[in-house]
Amino acid sequence: MISRVARKELLEILRDGRFRVLSIAVLAVSLLSLAVGWKQYTDVAKQHQQAQAATRAQWLNQTKKNPHSAAHYGVYAFKPKSPLAIVDTGIDPYMGVAVWLEAHKQNEFKYRPAQDRTAVQRFGEMTAAETLQVLVPLFIVLMTFGTLAAERERGTLRQLLSLGVKSRDLALGKAAGIAIALGMVLVPAAVLGVMSLALTSDGGFLASSPTRAAWLVASYLAYFAIVAAICLGVSARARSSRLALVVLLTFWFANTVVASRVVADVASWLHPTPSAVEFQKAMDADLNDQQEMQRRLDRRKAELMRQYNANSIDAVPVAFSGVSLQEGEDHGNEVFDEHYGRLFDIYDRQNTIYQLGGFAAPMLAMRAISMGLSGTDFHQHRDFITAAEAYRRQIQRTMNADIMAHPVRGGAAYLAGRELWERVPEFQYDAPATGWVLRNTRWSFAILAAWLVVAIGWMMRPLPRAAI
Amino acid sequence: MLEAHDLTKRYGAQTAVNGLNLSIAPGEVFCLLGANGAGKTTTINLFLNFIDPTSGTARINGLDVTKAPLETKKCVAYIPEQVMLYRNLTGIENLEYFTALGGHEYPRSAYIDLFRQVGLAPGVEDQRVSTYSKGMRQKVGIAIAIAKKAGALLLDEPTSGLDPKASNEFAALLKRMSDQGVAVLMATHDLFRAKESGTRVGIMKHGSLVATLSTADIGHADLERLYLEHMHD
Repeated sequence: MISRVARKELLEILRDGRFRVLSIAVLAVSLLSLAVGWKQYTDVAKQHQQAQAATRAQWLNQTKKNPHSAAHYGVYAFKPKSPLAIVDTGIDPYMGVAVWLEAHKQNEFKYRPAQDRTAVQRFGEMTAAETLQVLVPLFIVLMTFGTLAAERERGTLRQLLSLGVKSRDLALGKAAGIAIALGMVLVPAAVLGVMSLALTSDGGFLASSPTRAAWLVASYLAYFAIVAAICLGVSARARSSRLALVVLLTFWFANTVVASRVVADVASWLHPTPSAVEFQKAMDADLNDQQEMQRRLDRRKAELMRQYNANSIDAVPVAFSGVSLQEGEDHGNEVFDEHYGRLFDIYDRQNTIYQLGGFAAPMLAMRAISMGLSGTDFHQHRDFITAAEAYRRQIQRTMNADIMAHPVRGGAAYLAGRELWERVPEFQYDAPATGWVLRNTRWSFAILAAWLVVAIGWMMRPLPRAAI
Repeated sequence: MLEAHDLTKRYGAQTAVNGLNLSIAPGEVFCLLGANGAGKTTTINLFLNFIDPTSGTARINGLDVTKAPLETKKCVAYIPEQVMLYRNLTGIENLEYFTALGGHEYPRSAYIDLFRQVGLAPGVEDQRVSTYSKGMRQKVGIAIAIAKKAGALLLDEPTSGLDPKASNEFAALLKRMSDQGVAVLMATHDLFRAKESGTRVGIMKHGSLVATLSTADIGHADLERLYLEHMHD
């Protein structure tokens, strides 16, 4: 029965001119956005690789110089892009992908494409994720609003129900027919997408991302099923197909356009972030706390003199300039940890609000999942920042320890060479495991699952008598 | 086969069907006559459980339609005044679909036979229904009803839009089905058809069955006179 309904529904959809026009449009936009993502990814991945190699070569090929000068010379760290970033660029365009690691400072990320863009471009950007989250639901709405409402208007629904057909079977069959029609559009797009992923990343994708890709595909399928079930449920209950269309377009607009803005406002109202100027001023004030620095240096001096049983710091066999530099770093690190930690915790809490927003709009849950699995959400950004900062501190410690180990007398300068530079390993960053990502987005997964159950349950409920 | 016991449907102060008592045995053709709004269609909708009765019961095969809505619908075939079909499907695809949902599958040749039986010209079965006239759609509806092989027929002005020849063919089909033991409840305006096809005739007015008579006992002219008398307020 259900398969019979599905077959007829599919046949009707395929014979409907609207479907052909809409599906060609959706397929074209999907492929276009994938192509744009693919181009961006290959460009950026190549640039990153070259830049990472260049920054390493520059570091190693420095001339002989004082280790602290080398620390100022610094290196760049680049956030590796997961091939799935082709699908969802997430917050990368806004948060940046590279950071300059140097002495004394935890720098902000650079290379935010969004910075260089005009406001118009910002809205005009069409990633594959946006196509899937915004455009495909619109396509589903336009294809399905009349599914049951139009049958009621035409009178065929009465005839079907007079046959003793369960309205639940009817709804399920129609859902299946629509799913197949939708699949005929989305499966080719997905296959091409996966193929281009596999081709671009030299097998890296096949080695690392299939689990993430599988979760991503399953989540998008669930999201589409939610939208389709809501459409069918509304279509089954609306008095006319026109009313169904109005209701569903309102839902679509609220879900895809309004919700993300409202939730962003709510999040920044509940957990306001300081302005960039305020933030920098507060941090600088703590960094330049001379009294604290003096206390730290005095304590270290006393410790060293006790350790070496010396009565003057000059008698200690350690270069105190190195100790003092490291103390400066340690003090700075405490300040950075406190200020950035507080800022990132605010972002984290805002992020939780975004995820909880999924209760109001399933697109928000889908967005969090999509960014998470594509490796472009805030959690993974923070994870990378933390790793890059740890690497920066390692460089500083290595340089300062070398200075300490080479005390010089009478104004002579200590110069280090390649042997020291090589002691700093190349920056390695491994993206977090899929399980870690799933844990971070567990709220969104739970919310999406809840939407799926409720939407399908509602769709399958028997039609109210008045709806015949 | 089809029974109504004190079947009543009220919409607010207005009574659409008022204490209807009716029993139609297998092989009987009961024609319900009456003006527009007399309650004929409401009676059929009550049998189909499309609306809830205010009081009383409608039974098909002894089962209360409100308690066993799916089982009772399996036992009846319904032809509305305007048969509605899927415009983008061909005639035979429509027939196949409605038949399958009614729980039957036949080979294509059987569907073509049905098309001939109801008087559709050869070749039209593979045309899209959007090219069909109202009469042709009505004939597809009749074919759907036959294919369901139900024990009872609920017909709501089934011959509206049919030309006299087709109407006559439909009468013959009805006769054949009643000979096979099908119980028929038909709402109609056509006194002549009611007299020809019906075994009994009921006249409805303001929701009440005001007269029931056997067509064998009455001539066509008498039926018309009786009908007009009842319609006269």
